[in-house]
Amino acid sequence: MKSGSNLERILESGQFAVTAEAGPPKGTSSKVVQRKGELLKFCCDALNVTDNQTAIVRMSSLSGCVLLKELGVEPILQMVVRDRNRLALQSDILGAAALGIGNMLCLSGDHQKFGNHPTAKGVYDIDSIQFIRMVKEMRDEHKFLNGEEISGDVPLFIGAAANPFADPFEFRVTRLAKKIRAGADFIQTQGIFDMSKFAEWMKGVRDRGLHKKTYILAGLIPIKSVGMARYMRNNVSGLDVPQDVVDRMANSKDPKAEGVKICLETIEQLKEIEGIQGIHIMAVAWEDIVPRLVAQAGLMPRPIV
Amino acid sequence: MITVEQKKIEEINTMTKDYSCLLVLGCEMCAAISFAGGKRQVAELAAAIRLSRKGSGEEGEVFEESVARQCEPEFIDLVKDKVADCDAVLSLACGAGVQLMAERFSDKVLLPGCNTTFLGVTEELGVWSERCVGCGSCVLDKTAGLCPIARCSKQLLNGPCGGSMKGKCEISKDVDCVWQLIIDRLSRVNQLDKLEEIFPVKDWTPAGHGGPRKLVREDLKS
Amino acid sequence: MRKSNKSSANYPPCKYACPILTDVREYVQLIAERKFTDAFASIRRQNPLPRVCGRICTHPCETACKRGQVEEPIAIASLKRFAADGLWADQYKAALAIESTGHKVAIVGSGPAGLAVAHDLALLGHSVTIFEALPVAGGMLRVGVPEYRLPKDVVAAEIEAIVALGVEVKTGVKIGKDIKLSKLSEQGFQAVFLAIGAHKDRKLGIAGEDELEGVVSAVSFLRAVNLGESPQVGKQVAVVGGGNTAIDSARSLLRMGAKVVSVVYRRSKEEMPAAEEEIEEAIHEGVKMAYLTSPVKIFGEDGRVSALKCIKNELGKPDAGGRRRPEPVSGSEFSLDVDMVVCAVGQAPESSLFADELKLSETGERIYVEASGSLATSLPAIFAGGDAVTGPATAIEAIAAGKQAAVSIDLYLRSKELPSVEKDKREETQALPSTVIERTRSFSRPSKINLSVDDRLKGFDEVEACLSEDRATQEALRCLHCYLGAKVDEERCISCLTCVRACPLGVPTVSKMGEISIDSFACQACGICVLECPVQAIDIDLDSRAKIFKQMETAMAGVQGQRPLIVGFFDFHGNFGAGDIESLRRDYPNIVPVMVFGVRRIDTVDIFKAFALGADGVFIARCPSDNDPFLEITDRIDRRVSYAGRLLEACGKKKEQLDICNMPKEGLVEKEWVDALIGKIKGMS
Repeated sequence: MKSGSNLERILESGQFAVTAEAGPPKGTSSKVVQRKGELLKFCCDALNVTDNQTAIVRMSSLSGCVLLKELGVEPILQMVVRDRNRLALQSDILGAAALGIGNMLCLSGDHQKFGNHPTAKGVYDIDSIQFIRMVKEMRDEHKFLNGEEISGDVPLFIGAAANPFADPFEFRVTRLAKKIRAGADFIQTQGIFDMSKFAEWMKGVRDRGLHKKTYILAGLIPIKSVGMARYMRNNVSGLDVPQDVVDRMANSKDPKAEGVKICLETIEQLKEIEGIQGIHIMAVAWEDIVPRLVAQAGLMPRPIV
Repeated sequence: MITVEQKKIEEINTMTKDYSCLLVLGCEMCAAISFAGGKRQVAELAAAIRLSRKGSGEEGEVFEESVARQCEPEFIDLVKDKVADCDAVLSLACGAGVQLMAERFSDKVLLPGCNTTFLGVTEELGVWSERCVGCGSCVLDKTAGLCPIARCSKQLLNGPCGGSMKGKCEISKDVDCVWQLIIDRLSRVNQLDKLEEIFPVKDWTPAGHGGPRKLVREDLKS
Repeated sequence: MRKSNKSSANYPPCKYACPILTDVREYVQLIAERKFTDAFASIRRQNPLPRVCGRICTHPCETACKRGQVEEPIAIASLKRFAADGLWADQYKAALAIESTGHKVAIVGSGPAGLAVAHDLALLGHSVTIFEALPVAGGMLRVGVPEYRLPKDVVAAEIEAIVALGVEVKTGVKIGKDIKLSKLSEQGFQAVFLAIGAHKDRKLGIAGEDELEGVVSAVSFLRAVNLGESPQVGKQVAVVGGGNTAIDSARSLLRMGAKVVSVVYRRSKEEMPAAEEEIEEAIHEGVKMAYLTSPVKIFGEDGRVSALKCIKNELGKPDAGGRRRPEPVSGSEFSLDVDMVVCAVGQAPESSLFADELKLSETGERIYVEASGSLATSLPAIFAGGDAVTGPATAIEAIAAGKQAAVSIDLYLRSKELPSVEKDKREETQALPSTVIERTRSFSRPSKINLSVDDRLKGFDEVEACLSEDRATQEALRCLHCYLGAKVDEERCISCLTCVRACPLGVPTVSKMGEISIDSFACQACGICVLECPVQAIDIDLDSRAKIFKQMETAMAGVQGQRPLIVGFFDFHGNFGAGDIESLRRDYPNIVPVMVFGVRRIDTVDIFKAFALGADGVFIARCPSDNDPFLEITDRIDRRVSYAGRLLEACGKKKEQLDICNMPKEGLVEKEWVDALIGKIKGMS
């Protein structure tokens, strides 16, 4: 066991895992986090707490994690290298370990230009792959990046992101392999809409045996409206929403139901793909839909391991 | 000018060892002024590579060539035949030159023989120091002509920090505290009141934190 | 584009100052390189009388020499004599014309002008006959200049070398008297050159001069001495005049037994036309100087000179020639008790001999020549030059006239045309910037090694000794290499300012727009900018990069197979002798010496080149730092060699394979050092 977290235990036991995103508020209210925790507590194995997602300033991820933990919900600490140099990253990791957080997701972070402080200076002291390796060495060798000894354990289940839809497509598997080699225990992918492309990527993953070296959780983004579908298609980098998905949303009388339907169909197809160990639901501003989705997908109740 | 420093020969030897026919390509502007990419450095480096290869029993040829500036397509096109004839080009230009070469000769192995260091000035023969980071929005009018972005170790815009001691930066007694220099100079030009102002937060977008930069002159471009 | 440096403005001042444009810089450099045979050849190609000029030339080259602005000029005349006196001079073979032209030329007078024209015409294939009125050839060189300055056998040897070219010398024939000028063409001579010199002394123009016994002309006195006629001299002698003839007479008189010799000169010492060193030597030998003194009347007793009445002068306003006019001070008359008066107040040619045939100068004293510079007289095919035309002048000017006449006569004989010669406007040597002077190390000029006064006065032995090989080499190394230094190729230059910053003398300057100028006169060819220029835009004539490479390549080609093969870059400025190089070659056949003017110019690329050519080791032998013409060079060499060493190590060589050798105070290298180096290289793992 790397950290012995709930997520790790479920994946280790070979069961299909479910995670979801719980974004902290643009304010100081602990209630927002607590409400999301309560809502998702029973339908998810762990909740990702985002770190200034899309470069918009929010309550810190670490605080959100602590608030969730107090509720008995297992958090996944998301951390981006955009805002922290190697010192801050390592110190926050120590803090996270001290607070009993057992999962983290190592990310580059969306560029500050897209957020609400576009003129900020990006840190990018190290990149996400270096970050993953750094956390792994902190955990496995008790070493800081500079080689100095860390006192105490750093039991973290290390996650990384993967985007099968970005270009160049051929390199995406290679990059995943690098992240795994660097130390990623689990992977949460970008939201999947183009199943054939995803399947092709997964084939590449399997051809290199990567699915046996890490746990891959497929990303899902439930779509609430055709506007959201169009927006994601046109404006969100790294997201590939095919035209037929947009058309389905546009032609539907009940877009919300159609969105759920699309999501459920996707989950069904994902279950059939060899190497997928779970799903990760990113229901941005539509967290309420998650319990229903999980339930209708037949993934309830969540196992206890 | 852009200062450029030749990489250590050990690193260059490792980098170039797989390419039997090597073209060492000088760049006769900034890199030459920095004693890293002129004809003389090309000759010296080529001689060093040849000697290293001779010692390790490797065969192959090392050719020497130079262009005025590797950051201009017209100049590098003039050596296309030489580039075509070699297995790899060891460019003694700054990073910009190496990259334009790579763009221009898309199927050729391009190797950097230099490290691009900074935008700076010559203090004396063989000594250069940094003056500018190319932040894209100059503040020198407010800082007595001395740049806190390039020369303050913390890039403080409202310095000096508490580490300034006897005119020196806390990171090294060999580094001047630029804020001390700014204050001294403001005092000489009778503008100490400028220090009362609080510098607003800087827009780092033009400094490259908004992504790679491009400069377009609409009146000139076709 | 490279700027042309071929205009006469870029002649080194020594060459520019010389009436025959002797390439002084070239032979001085060859002496510095110990290439004495080549040095002599360089001199001899231009000057048919090098041994003479090495002794009595007034060396305007030295006056012009750039070194003179730092301390003292290079002892150019002494170096010329050194090069000309050595045994190697006998190996010189003049380049004779392959075919005779069939033209016959008569030369009247065998002084320096006559000899020079004879020499040059003979080389051009003409048949030359010299007619000499006196029983011996050589003109004033033989009968004017005393032997203690110019030994007879030296003059004889020079003439012999010219005779060896096929020139016929007929002595005892006075053209104009024995044979009329017009008769020469009947004898088959197609051209004539009159070089009769100026052998007629001017008169003092004072009472007693003509009637008293013991009043003699300097020219006739010196001639008699030189012809071995042992003329009678007085006990107390006054020599009137201030030129070299006066000094020659005075010094000769002392040697002939005169007890007191006084030179009476109307101006002060500064205005004296005689060479300063001659005046000094005369005083040193005991000649008394009566400056600002004019003779007024010669008194006699029983028909012999008994006293010279003089008057003191003071200097008034400058005259037309710029010299301050002496004005007698009334009431300052005094008498010198003398029994002999030698008149040395100037000479004139015996032009009256030709007065009925040729046009003379306005004063009627000299032979008229055309203003074109062709040296043509008023009659076709008859040319004239030297003192006969100019009045008394120097040997080198006479030689120059002879050489010019040879050009004119040759052209005339071939095409009946005459050249028009543009007279060089001689300008003063450019002044060195004071910063350059301050940063140039001074070295002392060799003091002359002269006979003791006692030994001198015993006879007419040559006073001055020739420089030794080592001293000559050392002296030649003082040369500042005018115009052999840095030249910027403007097309290559990127205005990086390296030369401006690296120059130890601060010579390069830059314009606002980045144009670099290197004053090629002020530059002393240290080679540092050539080596440091990142774009290799600077070239140099002294030890160019190509020359160093070639020297190394040639030297290494001869010793392949020797192990360990070591290239040593040696600085000419070390205190070594010729034997030292020979013994190095003998003792260490595996060491390849590469000789350069300053190892500061040895670049990393040169060192790498040595290894590429198969060397197992390289060392840089630097001269004692006091010998380096440039200040603060030692550190620079250290830094460069250690930089090259680091690079070499990174390329797989060992640090033992590159070293600096500090040349010892005497000699090329210390054997222990070389043995240790060889040991280290042999012992490398």
